[in-house]
Amino acid sequence: MRMNRNRVVGVTAIVLAILIISMLVVSHEFPILNSAETVKMETTEFLWTYRLIDLIAQAFVLFAAAACCVAILRAGEKE
Amino acid sequence: MIPLSYYLMGAIALYIVGMYCLAVKRNMIRLVIGIEILINAAHLNFIAFSAYRSPSFIDPLGHSIVIMSIAFAGCVTAVALTIVTYAYKHYGTLDVRKLRRLKW
Amino acid sequence: MFTKPLNTLLILMVTMPVMGWVTYKKKYRKIRGLYAVLGLSVTAYFLYELYVEVSEKGNLRFSSLPFGACLEIDMLGVFMALVYVMIGLLAAAYSMKYMERDTGLTEYYTLLLGMVAGMMGVTFAGDFFTLFVFWELMSLTSYALVAFRKERWAPIEAGFKYLIMSAAGGATILLAMSFLYGMTGTLNFADIATGLSGVVSTEWLYVTLTLIIVGFGVKAAIVPFHTWLPDAHPEAPAPISALLSGALVPTGAYALIRVLLLVFGSIQSVWQMTLLVFAVLTMFVGNLMALLQDDIKRLLAFSTIAQMGYILFGFSLASQQGLTGSLFHIMNHAIMKSLLFLCAGAFVHQVGTRDLRKLEGIRRTMPVTSLLLAIGAVAIAAIPPLNGFWSEWMIVLAGIEAEMLPFSALMIINILLSVAYYLRLIYVIVLKEPTPVSKKATAAPLSMLIPIIILAALCIIIGIYPGPFVALAQQAAKATLGL
Repeated sequence: MRMNRNRVVGVTAIVLAILIISMLVVSHEFPILNSAETVKMETTEFLWTYRLIDLIAQAFVLFAAAACCVAILRAGEKE
Repeated sequence: MIPLSYYLMGAIALYIVGMYCLAVKRNMIRLVIGIEILINAAHLNFIAFSAYRSPSFIDPLGHSIVIMSIAFAGCVTAVALTIVTYAYKHYGTLDVRKLRRLKW
Repeated sequence: MFTKPLNTLLILMVTMPVMGWVTYKKKYRKIRGLYAVLGLSVTAYFLYELYVEVSEKGNLRFSSLPFGACLEIDMLGVFMALVYVMIGLLAAAYSMKYMERDTGLTEYYTLLLGMVAGMMGVTFAGDFFTLFVFWELMSLTSYALVAFRKERWAPIEAGFKYLIMSAAGGATILLAMSFLYGMTGTLNFADIATGLSGVVSTEWLYVTLTLIIVGFGVKAAIVPFHTWLPDAHPEAPAPISALLSGALVPTGAYALIRVLLLVFGSIQSVWQMTLLVFAVLTMFVGNLMALLQDDIKRLLAFSTIAQMGYILFGFSLASQQGLTGSLFHIMNHAIMKSLLFLCAGAFVHQVGTRDLRKLEGIRRTMPVTSLLLAIGAVAIAAIPPLNGFWSEWMIVLAGIEAEMLPFSALMIINILLSVAYYLRLIYVIVLKEPTPVSKKATAAPLSMLIPIIILAALCIIIGIYPGPFVALAQQAAKATLGL
């Protein structure tokens, strides 16, 4: 890597920017609004208790879709 | 609240747009997008009904079905695009009107 | 989790890639096919146990909670699953030899097991969204299996057309599902039936009915939506064609009749008439187009469309006699059509062409396969005493009993039309002089012939002694109608 003045200035600026932004992010507390989290948890609980069979079957469908893509994109005849 | 029939009209309009896309468009990738539009019409319907079934209560069943169905739409698109890749290799074009060698 | 047979199939599907990775050396490759065949046999045994349990205890229900997703297993589900596992087992045994020269056999068996698992899940589902989930499993695996031999252009074109039409059908089913959810607030079949039972028929119910018939009709080869079938069946590998014709297409008809009977009880006369008209149209188009074909697998594909017309005719009568005839015909058609497709596959494997004009007189060089093909063609042309005659006769009798005399007469005309091209098939293969292409054929290998011999033996056994099989179909029909 050639060291010229533009590259040094650019790297320094980016490192300084990352340090300043990370200090700001750590110092300001992020407001996790409580109502949003309970809604997300309720949907997840609903899915888990009422739609368990569908969720498990969907995992198998995703596996089958990956197998389909592998089957169509396979390497082909080599011999 | 907006009356329910506006959402229904939106879903049916999306369905008609999706069918028009499948019938008229020539590019194979646009056909795949048309199928996505069709599936999203049904998703809009589910969400609208889950909000309007009873006042001030959102039925979580509709939302859970949409969450799972979006994954299926993704799977179908993935397999469709793999087949489109090979179709391009064989035919040299993405025009679906050229895929007419299997006739009669 | 799920029931035992479905569990077994899904676990097999997931562990097949492991088996494929372990057997990467060339001499161990046959173990993959053997694993699939053994797994399907174990599944068949569990299914038999399930049948015993259901016939003693009534309908089984596997659900987490009263309003949740559930599997509801009744005699109809067990009956259809029995047909699928039998055809899947024979197709897997046949493909051990047929697909020898292909690459990617691990993925092939994975997808085959996935397809049979999806079909079994469709028949076991008690909730509309569970049915849709397994429907998508079945459809996705069949898209990749039709386009499996991707080096040639024809399977890719057929696979793309099939994918677009079938995915559009699936989206239509989802839209109909959303309307039903909007009307009743649940997606459980039994709860939708009770929710809709008191309702005066509104226009939205007719819209939903149309969407259901279109959506399931794409898969069930109802006539305006059948155009994917004559392209997809010839281009798929022969055991997959047998599975598509014998199992996938009747799954569409099964789902159609299940949803229509359970959900649309209030407008029963409307959908009966609609389905009747579509059935007659399907029969005519299938038979007339099959008379013009020169490609043996394409002829069999159009014959599948016509046979689905007969099955839909029986379903549209919605009486116990009609349902028994149709369900028995689904089983017979699966056996006969798989027999024909596997024989055609044997010809293609040995000679390399599907053209009937080049396959003339191949009886001289491949006598056993030609005899089995002749048995299959005679059976499906409804000539007594083989099994096709009994089921088609039952459907015609049910039509006469339900006072649909003109439609029964049309069905008899169609059966006579179909005899024309089946007999032409036998004439070309057996009685004509051999062409240079057919002289070069050698007899098919024994491991490919064993599944075909089993199917032909079943044809003859069911033809001579149909009693227990008709009783099974009758139990299934009674369970559908809720008696």
